[in-house]
Amino acid sequence: MSDEIGAKLKDYLKSEILHDESYPMADDEPLISSGLIDSFSLVDIALFVEETFGVRIDDNELTADNFDTVAELVKHIEANQ
Amino acid sequence: MTLFHISIFSAAAILFSVLAKGRWRNWLMLAGSVLAIYWVQSVTPIRYLDFWLPTATLALVGVVWALSWAGGDEKPDQRETLITAAVLIGLVLIVGLLRYAGPLCCLTPSRPPQIWIVGIGLTLIAGLVFGVERGLTGKRWAVIGTIIGLLGLLIVLKTEPLTEFASAGIRSLMGQSVEQASAFDIRWLGFSYVAFRLVHVLLDWINGRLPAVSLQEFVIYVVFFPAFTAGPIDRVDRFVRDLRAEYTFTPTDLYEGGQRIVIGILKKFVLADGLALLALSGQNALQVESTGWLWVMLYAYAFRLYLDFSGYTDVAIGVGRLMGITLPENFERPYLKTNLTTFWNSWHMTLAQWFRAYWFNPVSRRMRTAKKWPVWAIILFGQITTMVMIGLWHGVTWNYAIWGAWHGLGLFVHNRWLNVMRARLRKLDERPALKKAYNVLCVVFTFHFVLLGWIWFALPTVDMAGAVFAKLFGM
Repeated sequence: MSDEIGAKLKDYLKSEILHDESYPMADDEPLISSGLIDSFSLVDIALFVEETFGVRIDDNELTADNFDTVAELVKHIEANQ
Repeated sequence: MTLFHISIFSAAAILFSVLAKGRWRNWLMLAGSVLAIYWVQSVTPIRYLDFWLPTATLALVGVVWALSWAGGDEKPDQRETLITAAVLIGLVLIVGLLRYAGPLCCLTPSRPPQIWIVGIGLTLIAGLVFGVERGLTGKRWAVIGTIIGLLGLLIVLKTEPLTEFASAGIRSLMGQSVEQASAFDIRWLGFSYVAFRLVHVLLDWINGRLPAVSLQEFVIYVVFFPAFTAGPIDRVDRFVRDLRAEYTFTPTDLYEGGQRIVIGILKKFVLADGLALLALSGQNALQVESTGWLWVMLYAYAFRLYLDFSGYTDVAIGVGRLMGITLPENFERPYLKTNLTTFWNSWHMTLAQWFRAYWFNPVSRRMRTAKKWPVWAIILFGQITTMVMIGLWHGVTWNYAIWGAWHGLGLFVHNRWLNVMRARLRKLDERPALKKAYNVLCVVFTFHFVLLGWIWFALPTVDMAGAVFAKLFGM
């Protein structure tokens, strides 16, 4: 289950946010704190998570502290599904 | 805060770590923080105002707590609430009674009002909080009204003509000369941070995210003395988690907390205050003849600002650590970042996060969901409005607004640049030396973008900032 969520998230991040399908994204790679993804994209990711997995991420949860990596996002989605 | 304040706070925190056991921990923290907000309040020329401003802070804390009823469905323990209220009233009375304490007078910078006036004030405040708790708890319109009121008060205090107007009103009430009213009369220490903590609590209440918090915990959260004057702006849920955790003070806490305080003191009182002699300011900006010297002054300003503010944060985090509270970080080597986005992830982080959580994210989400605007327009609107508001938080002036817009525009341009260049930039991964050189170039560029932005921040008028820009670039 978590592999499937992780794969979907990575596909989305690479194609829609990074526009680079070949990007070798690791599960524990810092995305926000490294500046790879900015705060606006975090809103887009929240909308994608809500549409795809039915899990709402509140506006005040959308920070690098909570969701800096794919692994953290997967954990949050699994915990709230 | 002066070095004397910091020394006493540090000594109090060490004493606290030795004495604070079990339930006494929170009571000591409450008493220490309440007394501290009177002690650090600056003197004002309006009679008794340096007593009433901290008292008004406590009144606002009480009103917000009563309004949100500490959020959850759990009813707060009535006995504990009454004891907390009694302790708070007792502490304010002690501060007031010091008027009569001869050589011990006073904790406030000037003599507090006569005790019967203090008594009337406290009765009115207690009545207000009780009235709110009986009639307005959980009322959405009252919560929204209080948010508007708090932000309105912040705007008045940050806008010089409005502060002057308010000062004239208070002076006339106190029978003092209205002609001498000035914007500097009302220096409500810590209010910018207090207001943002209170608004965060009320917004979280509206969103149904506010945890149940007792009055005692809530007062400590809002006026926790290490973070009272210069932040960081913690979140109530995170702060209260620390407060409720079992407190075990170890030599590591003493060493690491103490080390952080010493680093903070060195940064603030040695390096920042040393650089202040050189740093660009409204007084010296137009007196400089040499362009080279003006650049030196601008660099000095940039480092002074960082060392000053991050020094205070270090002290706050260190003192908090001694007391078992892990305050959030506010700076993380901001001048070494490779782009403006990561700069804003590492400069005054808790303020930037506040604005992201309560403005940027909800506005961007709403605009994205509406699907009426192109992506670039949403990003431009979100970044500019967020950064202009962060600018205006420092003071309602054109220069702060322009400083905010400067950064908002910079963030927008960086976002668009990255969007176009990301795939190409990744090819640099195959050439590590080139990538390293590129990163160094990015750090230098980002730093200088921020540096030039500080001109708006450091100087009081647009004309003066324009003249400094012209001089720096030989125009």
